[in-house]
Amino acid sequence: MCQRGERQAFEVLVRRYMKRAYQIAFDFTRDGEEAKDLSQEAFLRAYSQIRHFDQRSTFYTWFYRIVVNLCIDHLRRRARIPWERLDGKNQQSAGEEAMGDTSSTPDQEAIAGEVKRRLGTALGTLPGKQRTAFLLRNHHGLSITEIAKVMQTTEGTVRVHLHRAVAALRQSLAELV
Amino acid sequence: MLQHKDSHRSACKSFEEDLVLYYYGDCREPESHRVEEHLKECASCRHFLEELQTFLPLTAKPKELPQAFWNSYYEELREKLAAIDARESWWKRSFAFFHPWAVPALGTALVLILALSLTLAKGMWHFKGHRAQEEIPSELRAAAGNIDFFESMDLLDSIDFLEALEDKSSANSEFQKL
Repeated sequence: MCQRGERQAFEVLVRRYMKRAYQIAFDFTRDGEEAKDLSQEAFLRAYSQIRHFDQRSTFYTWFYRIVVNLCIDHLRRRARIPWERLDGKNQQSAGEEAMGDTSSTPDQEAIAGEVKRRLGTALGTLPGKQRTAFLLRNHHGLSITEIAKVMQTTEGTVRVHLHRAVAALRQSLAELV
Repeated sequence: MLQHKDSHRSACKSFEEDLVLYYYGDCREPESHRVEEHLKECASCRHFLEELQTFLPLTAKPKELPQAFWNSYYEELREKLAAIDARESWWKRSFAFFHPWAVPALGTALVLILALSLTLAKGMWHFKGHRAQEEIPSELRAAAGNIDFFESMDLLDSIDFLEALEDKSSANSEFQKL
């Protein structure tokens, strides 16, 4: 529908995918402004390159690839991944939402907060491909097949990346649990 | 949740990857059935799966943003898309005469012009008015203006002829004297 670059048609896709695009970018950068800029840049690139979209694949697989590549390039340029902010201001509200169960005791909340902090730090130190596979599966619910398309690799490789990512995250909790 | 320090035990190595996939619902048959059968008899793997079920959701809670943010995000993006369209339409206007049929037509015309230029330059096309000039060798054409040269050449020929006649007549007179 958007092959001829009609802006109105594309805006429908923007409305449909903007939250997910922003969330992916935020998961990579942990920074709201950067997530906004990167996700918007991904839409602009998709709009400019929509003629190159191969309709044999789904739009969101193609689009996710643009978002992920932009994020990875951005992190490479920035050469730092502030996952440590997970225990900072940005993450506090999300942490509170995640731990919204008011029946938990203060001890449990403290443990859960520590778990989240460690997971965030460990997630930031994962190799890029493991982090990508994990974020797309765990945070965004893409199937292994879809992730393989986004990462342009085999499903077997995605499974290995995912397993290693989960093992590393679990290891980060070794002293805690 | 996650309270016992001695609970961080490893799963069976041969099942660990399948357990991760099983947690995400990505474990296919027959592996899925194999994992379920194994879980019934392996406490370590059961505990590993419970851990995944406990800590992995903690990493996935998205941060909820207010609708005003999304309205602003969408409007800002619309403006950027409109700017791209404006740039593209300027470009298209500049090259509006390039209709689909115009490109092959222009290409054909260019090829014809090129072919004509090459053939004319190589002299493959002759015009009647120039034919006589074209057939004269260039060395002669270069010296054509110097008619005195040719005339002197004729004069020399005449002198040679007279000398020959003179030699012949003197020979005859000596013969007659004898």
